Amino acid sequence: MSVETGREYYGVSQVPPEIIGPGQTFETVTDRISQVVLTRETPKGWFIGLGIALMLLMVFIMSVSMLLAYGTGIWGLNIPVGWAFDIVNFVWWVGIAHAGTLISAILLLLRQKWRTSINRFAEAMTLFAVSCAGLYPLMHLGRPWLAYWLLPYPNTMGMWPNFRSPLLFDVFAVSTYASVSFLFWFTGLIPDLATLRDRSQNFFGRTIYGILALGWRGSARHWERYETAYLLLAGLSTPLVVSVHTIVSFDFAVSVIPGWHATIFPPYFVAGAIFSGFAMVVTLSIPIRKYYDLEDFITLKHLDNMARVMLATGLIVAYGYMMEAFMGWYSGNTYERYMVYARIFGHFAPAYWALILCNIIIPQMLWFKKVRANLAALWVISLVVNVGMWLERYVIVVTSLSRDFLPSSWFRFVPTFWDWSTFIGTMGLFLTLLFLFIRVLPMISIFEMRTLVPGAELKEELHEAPEASR
Amino acid sequence: MEVVASNVTLDAEHPILRLQRNALIAGVAGLALTAVGFFVTPDQFFRSYLLGFMYWFGIALGSMAILMIHHIAGGAWGAVIRRMLESSIGTIPVLAVLFIPVALGTHHLYEWTHADVVAKDAVLQAKQAYLNVPFFLVRAVLYFVVWFAVASLLRRWSLEQDRELDPRGIVRMELMSRGGLVLYGITVTFAVVDWVMSLEPHWFSTVFGLLLMAGQGLAAFAFCVAVSTVLSRRESVARFFGPAQYHDLGNFMLAFTMIWAYLSFSQLLIIWSGNLPEETAWYFTRSQGGWKVIGYSLIFLHFAVPFAVLLQRKIKRTGSKLALVALWLLFMRFVDLYWLVAPSLHPTSALPHWLDFTAVIGIGGVWLWFFVGRLAQNPVLALNDPSLPEVEA
Repeated sequence: MSVETGREYYGVSQVPPEIIGPGQTFETVTDRISQVVLTRETPKGWFIGLGIALMLLMVFIMSVSMLLAYGTGIWGLNIPVGWAFDIVNFVWWVGIAHAGTLISAILLLLRQKWRTSINRFAEAMTLFAVSCAGLYPLMHLGRPWLAYWLLPYPNTMGMWPNFRSPLLFDVFAVSTYASVSFLFWFTGLIPDLATLRDRSQNFFGRTIYGILALGWRGSARHWERYETAYLLLAGLSTPLVVSVHTIVSFDFAVSVIPGWHATIFPPYFVAGAIFSGFAMVVTLSIPIRKYYDLEDFITLKHLDNMARVMLATGLIVAYGYMMEAFMGWYSGNTYERYMVYARIFGHFAPAYWALILCNIIIPQMLWFKKVRANLAALWVISLVVNVGMWLERYVIVVTSLSRDFLPSSWFRFVPTFWDWSTFIGTMGLFLTLLFLFIRVLPMISIFEMRTLVPGAELKEELHEAPEASR
Repeated sequence: MEVVASNVTLDAEHPILRLQRNALIAGVAGLALTAVGFFVTPDQFFRSYLLGFMYWFGIALGSMAILMIHHIAGGAWGAVIRRMLESSIGTIPVLAVLFIPVALGTHHLYEWTHADVVAKDAVLQAKQAYLNVPFFLVRAVLYFVVWFAVASLLRRWSLEQDRELDPRGIVRMELMSRGGLVLYGITVTFAVVDWVMSLEPHWFSTVFGLLLMAGQGLAAFAFCVAVSTVLSRRESVARFFGPAQYHDLGNFMLAFTMIWAYLSFSQLLIIWSGNLPEETAWYFTRSQGGWKVIGYSLIFLHFAVPFAVLLQRKIKRTGSKLALVALWLLFMRFVDLYWLVAPSLHPTSALPHWLDFTAVIGIGGVWLWFFVGRLAQNPVLALNDPSLPEVEA
């Protein structure tokens, strides 16, 4: 299913098709990527970045401390708007996480070689985003120290979780997703950790990378087992990508709340997750490739492909909005119709139209190859999509809840300082983890990039082993 | 890499031409019997006719979507079945003619056309701006115009590409396909809302369009696999259909089977869980008596069994075995459509009427006759498809 072969052949490919820069050899690939980690001089920019991230992390710690001290009353939510920023942010972060697994697992099974330079980085992003996401439902419990009550375990209280509730599915889905993503990421890291172990100049590096490399010696048997394990994990991760956001959508859709109870939610949430996840990968990879001189590894072709995925998934999301609005009207149900009206023309119109602008109208610029090749424009669009996808969740969660069936219960949600600080704080957590990751682990898979070097055909075949398992 | 420009055409003795003649005989006979049904039980005639129409319509429209995906994404799998897809969408004018009985039968088919029923029903009155006969017909014309325009341009450009290779032609088809897929998504969604969902005018489901699109994609892939094995009776064609091509097509059938199951399950879970009267009634009818049996059989025979079978690498790589799976899936597509369409007329009995069979055979026979006719007109492989070199590579 190679996309390029034919088009390159006839010279009608729209972007330089290289997924690795010219002149790279086995040696330069390994040097270039590992030196980011093994260099003695940490760039100043990294310290500044980490400093900002740590400050935001401190905001997060402060917000959580306040929450634990005073309870969820410090947030702006109240009945009937029982879910607000916490769930909006949970869904937003989980969505962002999806791109990592999609790039790593699904593109691997589809034999798309361009995934290779961005997968490591995207998987790390997945883990960090899931960590941020997972914190929100815990904080929203109000008494997070009782979170283990969510698990079905024999207890003296005679309590058992409700297995019909997708909120319980969520507990399993997100924790499974986080563990499998971690295993997948770590398995992929092992050969590179061994490279770092071998190249490290000091005792600590050798010891720590040595322990983490789990005794990897690069023997043929190691490689064979590695390939099998990696493929199995890819196969396991693939249904998880779909299941997590499907279940997140069930959280809303199985209820009878107008604007939530829609059968299109599962596919439309999954598409939205991929949309926002790719936007986040683009947002992060453009500055990183520039700053660390990795243009030869994360090429214009990668960015072009990611922009196309964003365009396609964005159109599916647009289809979802269209169907929601149309069916809301077509249902003939007063409440459904009112919800459509309230979003499009009513009190929530500014948020709704901002979301349409960010998620549908502006991304249409990605139809043009000039826009996709213009990194500044692409970067801005990816940011706009990130904002748009946040607004989407805000509109879904808050508008539906604040317009209860009984007008006497209508409630206007206003976020408080602590709502915002918690949200911004998780960005601090995410960025802190990301900066640390860039510094201590190879952000691009060294050995997989080496399979792309001209003359690496033999290894390529090994890498293409998915054929065997499918 | 050498450009493959093998001009593979069908010889006069090719088995598919015999199939074509038989299809025409079956088609004419089926339509004649169905026409008798019109005088015996007009209501049943229109229901059965709609069911048969939706079945073959699904294969043609699914082919259109797959063809456009191929123009955008490329791939050897698409290069070998491209002509079949193009022949399939070449039947859109025929489908437009075959749609006429549905357009004439709105009063028999759709409850919302009955003024007396609507007068007593507030919900139907609320929907009248959309569900009324003139607008219904205008929309139908619009859908067919869009499909015909997209299909005929793609077919014409494809034949131009056969004669002369022009890189700009590849780009042109890709651009057309991008816009075409957007149009396909919108038109097919509203078409199935009009023609199928509004059979039960109180019911609604936002995923219904996607669900039927998944079914169309599955039907079209299965149809192409089945036709491929017939075409492969000749060595000149067979050499293009190697294990790798069947493997890819099998994986697509697997993927679409999963998407269909995923969307069906989500729809069921969400509606069951919400348990709202206007939505759940639709499933209530379909979970009584014989409909329940068919519903369960869909889970096992439309999903579980094909899923397990299509995971087998050996089956996917063997054309003859994969063709059996494809025929099975084509049959299950009919069962699924029957389960979607028929309960709205006779909710209590799941036994099919004889017209259900004559209509689908009649429409299908005529449709297949045109399909093979289109296929035989041109080389069986799109000669200059940019992905064709990958087939032999």
